[in-house]
Amino acid sequence: MENKIRQLRKGILELAILGALENQTHYGYSLIRHLTRDRAIELTEGTIYPLLSRLAKEGLISARWTASSQGPPRKYYALTESGREAYEVLQGEFILLQDLVARASAPSDEDLNSKPGEIEVSEGTK
Amino acid sequence: MTHELSDQVQSIVDNYLGRVRKHLKGLPEADRDELVLEIYSHIYESYMEAETEDEVQRVLDVLDRLGEPSEVVVSRLSGTIKSMGRSRNLPFYILTGFLISIFGIPLGIGGLALLVALGVTLAALTFTYFLTAGVLVIASWVTGIVTLIRISHPEFLGSYINTLSQFVDPPLGTILDLIGAGICLLLGLGMIWLGRHVPRGARFLFGLVGETFHSLRRRTLTAIGAGSTDDKPNGPELA
Repeated sequence: MENKIRQLRKGILELAILGALENQTHYGYSLIRHLTRDRAIELTEGTIYPLLSRLAKEGLISARWTASSQGPPRKYYALTESGREAYEVLQGEFILLQDLVARASAPSDEDLNSKPGEIEVSEGTK
Repeated sequence: MTHELSDQVQSIVDNYLGRVRKHLKGLPEADRDELVLEIYSHIYESYMEAETEDEVQRVLDVLDRLGEPSEVVVSRLSGTIKSMGRSRNLPFYILTGFLISIFGIPLGIGGLALLVALGVTLAALTFTYFLTAGVLVIASWVTGIVTLIRISHPEFLGSYINTLSQFVDPPLGTILDLIGAGICLLLGLGMIWLGRHVPRGARFLFGLVGETFHSLRRRTLTAIGAGSTDDKPNGPELA
């Protein structure tokens, strides 16, 4: 089960990273702070770095070291052009899937009056 | 790396980064430095923002949220090695990346040793198996030929090879001998035929062992995305 949760989170987290970088650049720590800002989700923060590394390797995001006014330099990440395209596609897909999940557990209209056990998957949930 | 952290805090951070670095052995020096610097940057930012009074507690909280060094680097390391294998076209690196994915960093040399031992055992088993099959086939031929010769020359090689016809009167003994030889031949040929499936069986066995270790390792990594060394070899890392 934990494995399933992790798989699910990993994919969605990658999507969230792309989304966070859509309109602004981030360095690792600021990205984590951005993603967890309303404390709705808790991250083991270090795990974001393998994801960033992977996305960078795939060319979806680019990385650049920039000096910080105080402290060590920061590695800033930005969405690349192909990353932007990937984000559009993936986000559309995600919305469809979200819709699918929401509708899957709800009884469909024509089944509302049927007895339990007679419920069939309705065409609309495809 | 001194950015106004106290000596005590700095030494805790250095120790952590040292462990990260240790997990990154095998990476090109430049990549290792860059990752360590990025983690250091994270620790610094996170530390500066935290509000806990006690600075040791503060840095420990920061490192706790960051996770174990192995979690920060595992998937990145094996992914990098895979890509090295691609660019240099050295299957060895792919294998290494694969092994690290299976056994995880913590098992390290122990895991490799275990794999080598498994390999040797399997090779020995395979060798013994085909040896047995070969011996059965040869024995059946020898028995058959000797039995046939003994129909006319009952004393042929009598002191070297025992067959039933020496103890049971012909023709029953001869028939039993031939049946025995036939069974041996069938057994031997059957083993050789089955042997063609040994490589597939071995692959299955290794796959099973690999999968077990893989899921064990995954279970020990509690964090999101830490298991991003994909179980699919043609996952996104190969894209």
